[in-house]
This record gives sequence, C-alpha cells and structure tokens, in this order.
Amino acid sequence: MAIPFEFGYEKPATIADALHLLDKWGRNARILAGGTDLANELKQGFRVPELLVDIKGLDALEKIKVLDDALHIGALVTFDMVRNSQLVRDHAYILYEAAGLVASSGVRNRATVVGNICSAVACMDSAAPLLVHDAVVHTASLEGEREVPVQDWFVDNRKTLVGEKEMVSHVSIPLPKIKHAGAYQKMMRYTGEDLAAANVGVLLMEDGACRVAFGSVGPIPRRSPEIELFFEKNGVNARHIDQAKDMIGGIISPITDVRATKEYRMHMTKVMFVRAMHAAVERLKKQKI
Amino acid sequence: MKKISFTLNGELRQVDVAPNEILLEVLRYKIGVKSPKCGCDTGDCGACTVILNGKAVRSCLIFAIEINGQEIVTLEGLSKDGLTPLQKALLDRNAFQCGYCAPGMILSATCLMSGNPHPSEEEIKESIAGNLCRCTGYQPVIDAISEVTKKH
Amino acid sequence: MEELKFVGHPAVRIDGKEKVTGAAVYTDDLEFGPDLLYAEIVEGPHAHAMIRAIDASEAMKVPGVICVVTGKDFPYNFGLYMKDRFIFAQDRVRFFGEQIAAVVARTPQAAKKAARLVQVNYSPLPKVVSPLEALREGADLIHPDLKHYEHVPWFFPKPDTNIAHHRKVRKGNVEQGFAEADYILEDTYEVPRYAHCAIEYHAAVAKYDHSGRLTVWASSQSPHTQRNLFAIALAPLGIRHNDVRVIAPHVGGGFGSKAGVTMEIIAAAIATKVKGHPVKVLWNREREFYNTYQRLGVVAKLKIGVKSDGRITALHHSLFWDAGAYVEYGANVVNAVGLSAIGPYRVDNASIDSYCIYTNLPPGGPYRGFGYSEFLFGLESHMERMAKHLGIDPVEMRRRNAIRAGDITAYGAKMNPNGLHQAIDAVAKEIKWHETPSPSGPDMAIGKGFSLFWKAPAMPPNTSSSCFLKFNEDASINLLVSGMDLGQGFLTVMAQIAAEILSVPISKIRTENPDTDRNPYEWQTVASHVTWGCGNAVKRAALDAREQIFSLAARTHDVPKDLLYLEDEVVKCKRRPGFALPLKDFVIHGIQMEDGTFKGGPIMGRGVFMPEYASTKADPETSQGGHPNVHYTVGAAAAIIEIDKQTGRVQVKKVVEAVDCGKAINPSLVKGQITGGILQGISTVLYEEMKFDHRGKMLNPNFTDYKIPTALDIPDEVIPLIIEVPEPDGPYGARGMGEHTMLPVAPMIANAIEDALGIRMKSMPITAEKICLAMTGLKKQQEK
Ligand SMILES: Cc1cc2nc3c(=O)[nH]c(=O)nc-3n(C[C@@H](O)[C@@H](O)[C@H](O)COP(=O)(O)OP(=O)(O)OC[C@H]3O[C@@H](n4cnc5c(N)ncnc54)[C@H](O)[C@@H]3O)c2cc1C
Ligand code: FES
Ligand code: FES
Repeated sequence: MAIPFEFGYEKPATIADALHLLDKWGRNARILAGGTDLANELKQGFRVPELLVDIKGLDALEKIKVLDDALHIGALVTFDMVRNSQLVRDHAYILYEAAGLVASSGVRNRATVVGNICSAVACMDSAAPLLVHDAVVHTASLEGEREVPVQDWFVDNRKTLVGEKEMVSHVSIPLPKIKHAGAYQKMMRYTGEDLAAANVGVLLMEDGACRVAFGSVGPIPRRSPEIELFFEKNGVNARHIDQAKDMIGGIISPITDVRATKEYRMHMTKVMFVRAMHAAVERLKKQKI
Repeated sequence: MKKISFTLNGELRQVDVAPNEILLEVLRYKIGVKSPKCGCDTGDCGACTVILNGKAVRSCLIFAIEINGQEIVTLEGLSKDGLTPLQKALLDRNAFQCGYCAPGMILSATCLMSGNPHPSEEEIKESIAGNLCRCTGYQPVIDAISEVTKKH
Repeated sequence: MEELKFVGHPAVRIDGKEKVTGAAVYTDDLEFGPDLLYAEIVEGPHAHAMIRAIDASEAMKVPGVICVVTGKDFPYNFGLYMKDRFIFAQDRVRFFGEQIAAVVARTPQAAKKAARLVQVNYSPLPKVVSPLEALREGADLIHPDLKHYEHVPWFFPKPDTNIAHHRKVRKGNVEQGFAEADYILEDTYEVPRYAHCAIEYHAAVAKYDHSGRLTVWASSQSPHTQRNLFAIALAPLGIRHNDVRVIAPHVGGGFGSKAGVTMEIIAAAIATKVKGHPVKVLWNREREFYNTYQRLGVVAKLKIGVKSDGRITALHHSLFWDAGAYVEYGANVVNAVGLSAIGPYRVDNASIDSYCIYTNLPPGGPYRGFGYSEFLFGLESHMERMAKHLGIDPVEMRRRNAIRAGDITAYGAKMNPNGLHQAIDAVAKEIKWHETPSPSGPDMAIGKGFSLFWKAPAMPPNTSSSCFLKFNEDASINLLVSGMDLGQGFLTVMAQIAAEILSVPISKIRTENPDTDRNPYEWQTVASHVTWGCGNAVKRAALDAREQIFSLAARTHDVPKDLLYLEDEVVKCKRRPGFALPLKDFVIHGIQMEDGTFKGGPIMGRGVFMPEYASTKADPETSQGGHPNVHYTVGAAAAIIEIDKQTGRVQVKKVVEAVDCGKAINPSLVKGQITGGILQGISTVLYEEMKFDHRGKMLNPNFTDYKIPTALDIPDEVIPLIIEVPEPDGPYGARGMGEHTMLPVAPMIANAIEDALGIRMKSMPITAEKICLAMTGLKKQQEK
C-alpha cells in the first residue's frame, strides 16, 4: 500500500493559481482530479511527478451546464454526476449510458470524465460518446485557452494533445439542432465492472446522418468516416446496418491481449455495432423533440 | 508532512500526513480505524470503502492529504449507536461469512439507501457491485438489503 | 430421539455482530506498537534460473533499513507432506516471482524502496511450464534433489524425473471390463490453474523475543500445523515446539490458500534475525495470485466403458497434474484424486494413474474441493455424453450407476451410508428435469445440465482434533478448540454442539479462533473435516463435563446418576420433579455439604477425536488394502442456463443443489455454503482465467483482469436442498460439506451448454469468448 516515492502537493484555490503552478513546474507536475488513475500509477511508480496539483478546489470546474448551444462538462464532473444529470440525459444520452458502465459506484463517485480522456487509456468509456457528439476539449494555460476537437485529442494510448503547462478546463458538446438518438455498447467479460475489451458508440440524426465511433480496438478510439459515409449515401435501415457491419473488418484491427483475442474483439464489435444501431433507431422513433 | 484536519465519524481529527500517504493507510495505521480493509489496493474490490461527504468511495485511491476539511464515515461511525436496521438484517440472516467484505458492503448499501430508500433489486445489486465477496454468493446480502428497504 | 434444542437450528453466527459492526479483528488489524518492523520481499524475475550472486549493499544504504536476509540465512527445507520447499530460494529459482530475499526496515516505504535496490545476478535455465512437457524424455529437472527429500510414506516420487508422486489404483479386471462394454468413450479434458481470491491477503507478524520465544500472528487455516512446521524448520536455531506460539485472529477467507504453511514462515524466520522486534510481512494482491498456492491444473484422459443400459463396466483415468514448483502440499491433491477418480459411482473395474508433475509455475496446493472439481469436470461431462449417445436420460444414467452404502470404492473399502439417490431425485424434481424451458428471445438458447459430486476429506490417517471446555462462575462456557472459523461458521456450530449437551444457550458460550498456547491441538481447518472431527471432540468434551456434573450431583445429593439430565442450565432428575441444581451454583465453586466442606471444583471437559480406523497402508501398485478416506460426502446439482448466441454470454437462470451433510447442525450456514460455493464454481467455469506469458509470468494477477463475480453476476435463483443421511461416526450424524458445494458446478454448466448449443466444451474455463468462437467457427478446434 505504501508508496515508496516522494512528491509534493498543492491545492490551488483559483484557476489562475493552478495555471501558475503548472507553468512553474511543467512536466514535473501532474494534475490530480479524482485520482482513480493517478493513485494507481503512483503506487506503481509510473510517471511520478515532483508535485501533485489537486484541482478539486476549483469549484467552477464542477459544473454541468448549457452555455452557447453546448453542454459543458467541467473538469471536476464525475461519472456519478453525469449519471445524475438531467442535462446529460437530455442532450447526450449516450454519455449517460456509458457513464453507467464505468467501473462501479465507488469509483464513479470520484472518477471524472475529463480525467478519463486525459488518461486516454485505449479502453476508456467516455471517448466514443464524446467522439460521436463532436465534442471539443477546452484547455487553459498562462498562454491562453485552446479548443481541440476531441477527434484530434487522442494521439496514442495514454497520450493526448495536452501541453506540458496546460490543463483541461472542460469539454463541450454542441447541442444537436435536430432530433437525434445514440446508443453505447461495451464489451465486458461479465455484467459486473470490467474495462472495455471493445466499445461502440453511435449517434443517429433525424436527417439520416449517422456517426459511429469504435474504442478499445486500437491505440486510440476513432470515428468511422467509412461507415458514416456509407449511411449518408444509402440511409439507415436494417439491411444497410448489416452491410455496414461487414465493413468493420476493414476498418478496425484489434489485437489479442489479456482481455480478449482479436477474433472475438472483431466479432463482438460487429455484434455491438448492430445492436447499438438498432437501439438508436428505436430510440430515435420515440424521441419527441 | 502537513497537518490536515477532517471529521471522522463525527469527531474532528487532526493528523500529520505526507503527500504520498494513501487515505486507507492513514485511517488504518495512523488513526487506528480498522474497519476499512485492503483487498486489492487498486480500486477493484471495495473492501476499503468509506463514506466521503456522503458518497461511498475507495480509500485506497485517495491521498490522505486530499481530505483536509472533509467528512468521513467508516463502519465504526455507523455502529456507534447500536445496529442499524440493515446491520440487524445482515446479522439475522447470517449474511456474511468471513466478514472481510462486510464494512465496505455495508457502507455502499447504506449510501444507496440514504439516496434511494426503496431501491429495486437491480439497484441493490448495482450499488454493491463494486464490493467483491468471495464467500457468500451475494444473495444473502442482497436479501437483507431488500428486506430492510421494503420494510421502511 | 429427544428433540434437539440447538443442533439443527439456524442459529445466528456467534461472530456475526463483530462482523457487521467492523469490530472483527483480522491479522493486519492488530497493533504492535512503534517497534514494529516491516519486511518487503525481493522476487525473482525468472521461472527457472540459478542465483549467482545477491548484492544488497545499495539497499542497506536506504535510511531505516535494518537488514537484508536471503536464502543463505535459512538453509532449511520444509513442507507439509514432502520437504521440497525453502523459506527463500537457495541457489535455484523455480517460478516467476519466487521470494529471493527480504529487506527489513522501520517503515514499509523504506523496505519497499530498498527492495528495489537489491541486485540479484541470475543465470537462466530452460523452463518447463506444462506437465506433459515436464514428462518428456530429457526434460530439465526442476528438483534434481528429489531423491533426498523426506516425504510421507504414501508418496511415491520418481527420482531423476519431474514426477513427484504417482498414485496408482487398480481394481478388478479393467481389460475385461472394457471387453464387456457395449460402448466406450475416451477423451481428454483440461482444467487450468485457478486462484483462491480470498479478499483478505495473507499476513503474518512474528516476534522472536530475547527469551527465545517465537510468537507468530497469522491469517491462517492451520495454526497448529504452522507451529509444527516452524518448529521443525527452525529447529537448527534451537527452537522447540513449546517455544513457538501461533495466534490466529479472524481470517478473511481461506478456500485452501491459507492452509499449511506458505509466506508465514518468512515472517517466522526473519523474526529470528531481528530479535526482540515484531516484524510484519504483508502480501499484496499480486502475490496472492502468484506466490501462495494456486489450484493445480490438470490434463485428464478418461476412458469409460458401459453396457447399453448405461451400467459402467470399466473406467480408466489418467491425470497429469501441473503441480508447480513445489508440491509439498499439492502432491496430496494428486493423491486424493488418485484414490477417488471413479467419482460417486459403482465401478467394479477401475484403473487410475494420478501423476504429480513439477513445473516452473507457482506452487500448486489445496483449493476448495482438493482436486475433485478438476476430475469431476471430465467425469461428469463424460457421463452426460455417454448417456446421450446411448439414448438414456442423463439423470437416469447416473441413478443406475450411483454408489450406495456398502459398495466398494476404488481402493477396496466400503462406501459409507449416504443420500446420493435421494439427492438425485430431489434435484431432478426441483429443477423440473423433464420440462423444457423456452428461451427468452430468438438469439437465445436455453439448456439444462446435471452433475453429481462426491468428496472425502484428504488427510493423514492420524489427523486429530481436540477440545477443552471450561465452565465459568455464571455457568457460561469457554470452549477451546483449534479449528478455524474461516467464515464457514465453524465456531457457531461448535457452540451449538456444546449447547445441546450442556443446555447452556449459545450466547453463553465463548469460542474464538485459536492461540496454540491456549487451545488444544487441531491438525488443520481443511478437508471440510472440522464439523465432523472437531465436532466430535467438542461433543466428547461436553459429555465429559456433563459426566463430571452428574457424578458430582449424584455423590452429593444421593440421586442415581443415570436419572439425571440437564435442562436450561439446571441439573434435574427424572424421578424427583423438585430436584433442581442450577449449574451456576456449583460449576466452579463446588457443592457445599452439610458439614461445611465443598465437593467438586471447576468443571472442565476434555475431548479428543481421531479416526482410529483410517490407514494409508496399502499396496503401492494397486492402492488396495488401506482405509485412506474416512467417508465421502455426496450430492447432486442441476442448472438451467440461457446463452446469448451472438456473444456467447451465459446467464445462469436457476441452480438447484442437494448436499448430504448427514445432519445440518446449522441449516442457515449450510445454505450459505451452498450459495457461496455455487457462485465460486460458476466463476471458475465461466469467468476466471489465469494467463501466463512465455516467461512463465502471470499476466493478470489482479482483479482488473482476473474476474471474480460481482453481485451483478449471480444466478437468478439458487435453491439449496439439504439431505440428511447420518454419518455413523459424525456428531449428530454430521459430515462436512463446505468444499463440496462448488464441485458439481463446472461440469453441470458444461453439460447445460452442450444441451443448449450442441457444443461440447472440454477445457475450462468456458468463457463467453470460447463459446462464441466455438459457435461461430471463428477459431476451429478451439478445444485442441
Ligand atoms: C477499479 C477501476 C475501474 C475502472 N473502470 C473503468 C471503466 O470501466 N471505464 C473507464 O473508462 N475507466 C475506468 N477506470 C478508469 C477511470 O476511473 C479513470 O480513467 C477516470 O475517469 C480518471 O479520472 P480521475 O478524475 O480519477 O483522474 P485522475 O486519476 O485524477 O487523473 C487521470 C489523469 O489525467 C490527468 N488529468 C486529470 N484531470 C486533468 C485536467 N483537468 N487536465 C489535464 N490533465 C488532467 C491526470 O494528471 C492524470 O494523468 C477505472 C478505474 C479504476 C480504478
Ligand atoms: S482495497 Fe481499495 S478497492 Fe480494493
Ligand atoms: S464474507 Fe468473505 S468476502 Fe464477503
């Protein structure tokens, strides 16, 4: 249990203070949000910093709100808060759905969505929902703020575009202007908590547009322009869903690891894709606005 | 070392901690509150569950220094004034065997019940799904939670 | 028979309140004050290598470090049945993660930091990671010294091979039996290794004080066996049995992992180097997986011949066990299965070869079921397949062969009275065996599976249990036993037995996990034998106390002893209604006579139990002649499962299990064992899977990737059924049932899968992935 490595700790009270600390310590500092990834990494001696910057004093980041036609999810918003947010249910149901499948309640009560995409472990649950919603990652540093489309955010397994002296303040999800419905599917070894061996997110728009994202079947989660284009050309129906499913083999290239073989991952991604599409179609039918 | 103060089971406590000390470690070895257990040290088993500001969390994933000014409840705190109806139901049903998972399990269920006094069976299962138990097969624990949440 | 007041009732656990309030104290909850030292282990990063040099100079420079100990400090062999094990690796590392050295420091941080600085120089050796590989001509020897190891007389190691033991059973005429068969099925089944996953880690704290007293506090199933093995191993230091004291607080689950001696001896040994200081050795979850015992893996080749009516004519079972780097305990698993691998059937012609094979994987050892789950997987799959081939209902096929009292076991002894046939009928009825449930959707398939089970305690023939029973002034009782409550409810059951005989309520009986100085001898809490063995000792101790009470009452009050009885803590007389002597009036202070003198004195019962009919003396070529197993506990189970045909996911809809425990002294605890054991069984067949890489390193020593079920992964319904055909020498007829409940589960699920999908899975685990790949043909010959 004991951590045989030493580091300092600061808990800034304002965003400005936090940014100054990050500016001063750079790569020798690490941001501490819920700590569910960080604590485990530090126990293992993985990327031990000189300073932990605990951002939990920055109350402004603990908000889920709608601003400028976008749903904002602050850096301190936990998966539990997502689960309990009517705003998220209304505007990004698939993120709500995915949040319910993250770990267990004891972890969800601490783990943040932003921490999830900052850790950027290939199996993360929040990526596919954010990808299909064209979410934007908002970063801040003393040099100013940046907006990075989540599609560009992931660089490699555990690697993102965040700068050394930067923090993520929030992610924003543009509110779709028309009726839409999404669905999220996660491949787990059983019903209880498990990291995704693969995951699929889809978002279907009233005008027939469809967005599809695959996770945990490569170093980074990705959208599938191939399938999206196919649906754009042909429209979404049961037969096309089946045809699109057959395209998946050429789109993803899963690997075999301790959680699953590549064959099963491929098969399950197809099954999940079909199930997610059908669920989304059904949900769209029921949507009022 | 930094002095932190926090409320533990209703009492204000102060303790010196280093930034690399984990909350579970400090509760158990510095303060001497032993009901939170270690069963994995990676957040997977729930044996270390404590209630932090009203929410069940894993104390093995929290740095002690983070809880300055906050409020923690452990099973010791829950048991201060005798058994809660849930504890009584668990006792009467011989729900636990080795009992190692019990503190975490009881705190998770208690949190569920405080926010959702009449949970469904699925919600009950979900609330303790992060608390691994190797002995009981869970059913007796679920039955005890069902019993008290139906009654009240 | 008189009505029982305590035995047979679902009493509340006597440790229940401690456990629901967080008051229960486990080893790592004990306080040892500021002088406590911490040891951190240095592990070997090779599955097989010679240790060339160990350099601890950098580690010693870390502030707070007291010393570094290595194998050289403790050149001692130890082991329960065979002395093939070492406190720290000597010149050779035999599995990945084996302990090479330990750093002792003032803080856990310092110990951990320093442990990373210990430099060890190895020269790697070729490694052997599968039992069949280890048997090959010219395979590297993992224990070149095998011929020198001491072992129990019923083991037969083959020097200069990797075979540590071969249990050979020959009964009847197997060739002729096969010749008479109308149908013969021969196949191979594989069951891999599994981990116990008690939620509490192993923990041990030891102190060797300046007077030469060694005290060890450990999370243990075996305090007395630990005392014995510590004393034997450390005898060169001048330590005797009476110098060693083992204290066992509550245990957070055992399942076999905390039986015998594993890491506890490290604490005991280190303590002798830091005299006067308590030293703590705390395992972590990773080490729980790869450096305690693991359940042995097995490749089982099974051949059964049957007549067209389903009756078995002959059976041949060859079992090749992956027993790991050290087999001091695991070899007895191999032995036990060798004796019992005919299963709960009447088999006149049988041959069994059970081979204990060294491999460069973690030591195999006891695990709930002691090998029976492993061979039953193949056997009960085989029975189902043969029934289907013959067109006989699988339940009927089992009925026709199921063993009865008086039938002859594989080793020639008589089968004990048992309720196997009742169990089969009860389960078939409750599961509605002849009805076919329908699946819940077009993508779903539904199936039913059945399985029988049996298991005997595997223990030395002179295994014994004992009990001291002391009355207190208020007629409350301290019941001193050395069985361990691992959660199964042992202490409650012992209190119920004493309560029954002495009419003292359970709430007035204190019985706690033992301290070897205070509590009398018990072999170990394993083999599901303590309700029976220790229960007998407790019963005898209580009868002894009662005899003292009646004698005293008779001689002081002039009543005939045989007319006395106990009721509600009062001695009464059948013929003198007014006669009433409350226990509290005399159990300590005696009875005052008219002349003012006192008679009697503290009442103290003593009870000992050893099965004096057991013997392992038998012909090594046939195993005929002895009486190695005291009795078998039997039962049956069935399940209905539903499978998602697209994903391979299995949902267990209903499980019924009947176990014949002779007498359920506490039915609530018996049912608890059934519910828990079934889930553990389901977990081994559907979810758990150990993965090793090419270096022999376990890849998933954590709950992130070694999945044990959560509350969301349980069957929809579990129906426990209790059968009670008394065991003639059991307390109130009781026999053990704790391990047994998981035994039928894996084959029962495999049978249900075949029923649902027509696919026979012959290797465990049967994960959703395996089912799916087999179904979709994505990976042909998944079974190969
Ligand atoms: C038992 C267990 C089960 C899990 N199961 C799942 C699961 O099913 N699905 C899943 O997706 N995840 C799972 N996770 C991982 C999940 O808990 C984390 O990824 C979590 O979301 C990270 O958030 P956090 O607030 O805890 O981040 P922290 O651990 O505090 O931080 C994570 C990383 O992000 C950085 N960081 C945090 N916030 C910021 C910021 N604002 N700006 C820049 N960098 C930042 C940190 O420096 C660190 O590198 C599991 C974890 C555990 C322990
Ligand atoms: S010890 Fe914290 S979750 Fe297991
Ligand atoms: S009762 Fe033993 S782990 Fe739950």
